[in-house]
Formats: sequence, structure tokens, C-alpha cells
Amino acid sequence: MRSLGYVAEVQIAYALVLVLGAALGWRIFAGHARPATALVRLSRREAAFVAAAAEALFPRGGAALPSGLDAGVPAWCDRWLAALPSGTRLLVRCLFALMEHATLVFPAPGWDGWRRFSALDAERRGQVLEAWRTSRWFLRRLVFTSLRAIVTQGYFADAAVLRALALAPRLIEAPVTVADTLYPPIGQPKSAIRFRSDEVQVHGPLDRPPAGAPLEPSGPLHPDYREGGA
Amino acid sequence: MSTAGSVRVFAEYDGDLRDAADVVVVGSGPCGAVVAKELAEAGRSVVLLEEGPPFTPADFALDGALSMARTMREAGLRATRGHVMPTMQAIALGGGSLVNSAICVRPPAFVFDEWATRFELSHTSRTALDPHFDAIEAFLGIAPTPDAVQGRRNLLFREGCAKLGIPSESIARNVRGCRGSGECFTGCRARAKQSMDISYVPAAIRAGARVYTSVRAEEVLCSGRRVTGVRGRVVAPFSGAPGPTLTLEAKAVVLAAGCMATPLLLLASGLANASGQVGQNLQFHPGVAVMGVFPERVDPQFGATQGMQSLHFLREGFKLETLWAPPAVLAVRLPGAGLALKERLAEIPYASIVDAIASCHRSLGSVRPRRRGSLDPLLTWRLHPEDLPVLGRALEVIVDILFAAGARKVLPGVHGLPDEMGPDDAALLQGRSYRATDFVMAANHAFCSTRMHGDPQQGVVDEEGRCHDLENLYLADTGVFPRCTSVNPMLTGMALAHRTAAALDDRL
Repeated sequence: MRSLGYVAEVQIAYALVLVLGAALGWRIFAGHARPATALVRLSRREAAFVAAAAEALFPRGGAALPSGLDAGVPAWCDRWLAALPSGTRLLVRCLFALMEHATLVFPAPGWDGWRRFSALDAERRGQVLEAWRTSRWFLRRLVFTSLRAIVTQGYFADAAVLRALALAPRLIEAPVTVADTLYPPIGQPKSAIRFRSDEVQVHGPLDRPPAGAPLEPSGPLHPDYREGGA
Repeated sequence: MSTAGSVRVFAEYDGDLRDAADVVVVGSGPCGAVVAKELAEAGRSVVLLEEGPPFTPADFALDGALSMARTMREAGLRATRGHVMPTMQAIALGGGSLVNSAICVRPPAFVFDEWATRFELSHTSRTALDPHFDAIEAFLGIAPTPDAVQGRRNLLFREGCAKLGIPSESIARNVRGCRGSGECFTGCRARAKQSMDISYVPAAIRAGARVYTSVRAEEVLCSGRRVTGVRGRVVAPFSGAPGPTLTLEAKAVVLAAGCMATPLLLLASGLANASGQVGQNLQFHPGVAVMGVFPERVDPQFGATQGMQSLHFLREGFKLETLWAPPAVLAVRLPGAGLALKERLAEIPYASIVDAIASCHRSLGSVRPRRRGSLDPLLTWRLHPEDLPVLGRALEVIVDILFAAGARKVLPGVHGLPDEMGPDDAALLQGRSYRATDFVMAANHAFCSTRMHGDPQQGVVDEEGRCHDLENLYLADTGVFPRCTSVNPMLTGMALAHRTAAALDDRL
């Protein structure tokens, strides 16, 4: 016959498993802020992580540039994920999950440094990322570089960031080439081709000199990058 | 059999198709496009297959990451295993020429002399290939980048080299009417870059070639020692969703699907691998880049994407060139995070970037299918320890050039070195030893996965690109290089393809 002590131990073990399971469930699934915009591919918890990473990498203040949050990095990330093949999308999601919960293994400074990345304050998120960036382990540096590459690309997709750095694309008008009479825009039928053969201005490579008129820094911006543009 | 030139796009496929031609060319990149145009102009019936769609200027995404997602395989996130290194291959009509920086360089004679000596290739000297180089250069109007569109960023490299006595030169490119937008990698909105989709492919169509876009070649059909055609499948742009099939009969087939896809197609078809060399010997030109920050504004986004180079160190194993890329891609290399990172971003308008591509002959890898019969590649590659000093030496030279040009600091982007180095810190690099993982490298030039060799036991194709094992299957892409070229490979690939087209035409 089993002793009362054994029964109590089993009950305590069950209780501990339940508590740990609940804590893990809370850590992974609960308490994430609602994203600022409606998202298609990015889950609420992934959006919270991307927003936290964007804020840590590109905080408000300092150089006169928008912050990562102002640049709308989570919304961009949602669009980018939608453009990825499914296998690659899964890898990116794994990367987000890994960084969100890696504080269990590589905690941030402080007694509660094991909290998920997106629940840390901005200063400690920066410290976590710096530790990954300067790690002596190549794989940690690689993971950091991958994350920063994604967030940075989202940051630079913002027209205001590019305008602030004077890097916004300029308006470019191109002559009509033979190719423009052959191919429709992607996904459309031939009837969508805009130009006819009698509109061709350039029939072959040698119709143009090696250099055209250089673009000027003061030239007009591409419409999508103008203030209040598309 | 139709004889009028035409191009089919995804929206036009509504059922399974059959066609026949003298020659089917798989892949419309620089090599395949040359073969298609030359054979069509020789009066042959030619079908050109391309898995990607044609891009119009309206289809180019200016956002660097979204552009890569649309124009590159695996959304531009393909990487090698072993030593993890990103490598990009395009999927578009025109192949890599749509999104490369149009660099056209003839390798020096010593490169071909080494090929001849080591790989039993006595007819592939620089002299033998010069007429083919001439033909390509004449058709595309390849010319050195004019100073008018170099921009300050490129000219700083010239000044730095001149101060150190290092010869440098304007890069010859397949570009006409360049406006110096620095947008080569996301597609030329000025229609100045003579990528294959606006140069060779229209010429092939004019000569009667039929172009099927959005068709993935899945199998080369064979009977005995002769191939009989190609079976393919329509795939939706970007998603790759499968559609109807396309079966092509041909007297000869030319695979020009690229260094990664061609070996997989051969393996999936069970062809041309008696030597066991298909998918082996993979080589790259790994590249390292350094950003210099100057006291005065450089406005680096204005000017040819890559306008200046130095071939002075080729025998040491590296080539130097200036570089611009979408700001998001360049910013990935900047050190730091948080406010420090933002401060560095604010310095981009004052920056100039120089990179080196290294001839890492000893560093080998392989291309294998992810699963048996799959056309998705699993790439393995390791940087050989003896190739590491080449990268270290290149880094040292780049830093010297940037400081000679007047940079106030450089950002080497190498683990173990300071994030920023001033002129007094350059000595830190001298005689320094590195580990492969210290470098953040990338490599978009890939070679040798179906190499040519005079000995059928050691190579896949002969000097004319014909498979040793088959009478009428030819390969024409950088996979046939027996060794890396030490310079940008596009022009060499096109010259070899030009020779292959002539040889094939003689045999048809």
C-alpha cells in the first residue's frame, strides 16, 4: 500500500507541472499587445516581438531619424512574410520564436532577465541584442545578424527614413525599348502591354550612348517616396 | 512547328502543351540567351525556356527585400551550409543579368593558362576566346563606365588607388544610357542596363525563337546516348504553384539554368554523370566589403552601382571594386544597435564602400538535391584555411585605399576588430590571422558544378560544352568553368556560350 507521503509527492509534482505548463503557456501565448495595424501573416505574438526588436534596434532619439516603431517595421514584416516561400517563412518564424524565448538560456541583466524578449524594457532588450552581436559563438552572431537584417530592411522600407537620409529613389523616366512591346506586367495578359512597335525609341543597345544624363541629388523623388506619397 | 518568334507569359497558358524545335535552351540568363540568339540567327528553330517571368519597369520593387523576394530564388535568402554564406540566384527572364551590376571583364590570360594546364583544356586560351568576347562586347555595346555617371563614391576609389600607386580602371559594363541611379540590383528603371531580357532575348525572338516564360524544366528526355527533348511544367510567378505541362522535342538540348539548377536537372534526369562530377567542385568568389566614412558628403546613391575596379591583386587572389546596393542591404553590415546604430545610419550619405571578391580555389563545395529527385538545391561549402589569408590581405588593402582617399574612419565589419577604425588603427590589420567565421561574407558568383575537363573521367563537358556522356546535350552556364575566373564571370560565360552555339550549329 502506497504511503500518504508518496501520494502527496505525486500531487505536488502534478501541481508543479501544471504551474510550469501554465507559466510556459502564458509566456508563449498570452499578454501580447494588440498590433497597431491589422496583420495577415504575422501573429499577434510575432508582431509584438518584431515591434520590440525594432524599438531596441532603432529607438526614439539620437540621430534625426524615425524610430523603428514609427517606421512601421511590423507592418512591413507582415508584407514581406507574405512574399516569402512557405519554407523560408517558417524559418523566419522560428528565428522570431528563438530570439523571443532565448532569454531562458541567455538572460538579460536583472533578477527577471529570463522574461520573454518582448516583455523586457527597452534598455535591457538592447543589452540582450548587444550580447548576441558580440558573442564569441558564431551561431549566436549569425542569429543576431539575421534578425537585424530583417528589421533593418523593414526600417529602410519606410519612405520617411529614406527621405531623412537623402536616399529616397528619384524619379526616372525611361525610353521605350523593344522589350516594352513584348512583355506585359507580371500576371497580366499580352493585352496589357502598354506600347506598340511604332512607339519604340530604342531598337538595340547601340542606339544609346554609354552615359545618359546623370541623376541630380536635387532631382524630383519617385512618387511613392514623396511626402504624403503612396 | 511554328517559325515566327514569340514570347508566352503565365496568363496565356490554359492547358498542356507540346512543341518541337531544333534546339531547346533551358535558362534565359546571359549564357542561355546568347545560345538562343546565335542559333536562331543561324536559322535554327529554337525554343527558350525560362522559369521566371519577364519584368517590366513597373514590376521592379524599390524596396530591397521585396525586390529580392520577387527576383531571387528562395526570396534571396539562400545560403550555403558548412560555412554559412548567403548566395543569390535570380529567377526572371534574363536571369542574373536583370539584377547584377553589369560588370563585364575579360579574365587575364593566366587564368586560362591555368585552366589549360590543370584541366587538359588546350583550346580554351584567352586568344582562342577573344573572338567570342569581341562578338558579345560588340552586340551589347560594352564600354567603360563614363566619368559623367561615376559619382563621387566611385571616384574616391580612383583617388585612393592613385595615391598608393595601385592601378585602377573604370569598369566596362553592358550598359547604355546609364544615369547613375545605383539601382542595378533591384532592376534598372532607366532601361539602361542591357540585361538579357531587353537585349539578347528580343534579338532571339526577332530571329524566330519561341520563348516560354514561367516554365520550369523538370526532366531532360533521353533515348540511348541522345537526348530527345525536355519535359517541363508551368509555374506561377513568385508562388511557384504548378500548372500544365509542356513537352518539347528537340534535336539538341542546351542546359543554361545556372550553376545550381543545371546539375540538379541532370541528377533528376539521371544523365551525364558517369564521371561522378555533376554537382561537385562548387566554387564561389566570396566577397568582403568595408565602408569608409568621409568628412565631406559623398551622396553614395548617385553614380554607377559598381563603376571602378582594380585588377592589380588578381595574382594574389582578389579583385577590388566599388560597391553600392539598396541601403537596407548595406546597413545590415553596420555595427551596433540602438542609438549608436542610428548614428551610423546617419553617416551613410558620407560613405563609400569597397569590396573584394576572392579567388578561393581551394574552398570547395557541392550542389545536391534536398530530396531525391528534387530541383531544390542543398548547397555545402567550406572556406579552406589556406584561402583565409587572401581575405585578410584584401581587407588590409581596402582599408589602406579608403584612408588614402581621405576617409576619417572605416567600418571593417569583421568580428574581433574594432567596430570603427581610424587611420592610426590600420596597423591592427597587418599580419593578423582570422577565422572563417570572423568574416561576414556573401558570394553571388558560383562555378564549376558541371565542370569542363579534357578527361571524361574528371569532368562533365568538353571544351565546347558538350556532355562527355551524350551526343547532343550541351551545358552553357558558369557551372562549366573548371575553376573560378578571379573576375566577374558573366562575360566569360557568355563567350563560352557563344563558342558552344557555334559548335552546336556545326553539328546540327
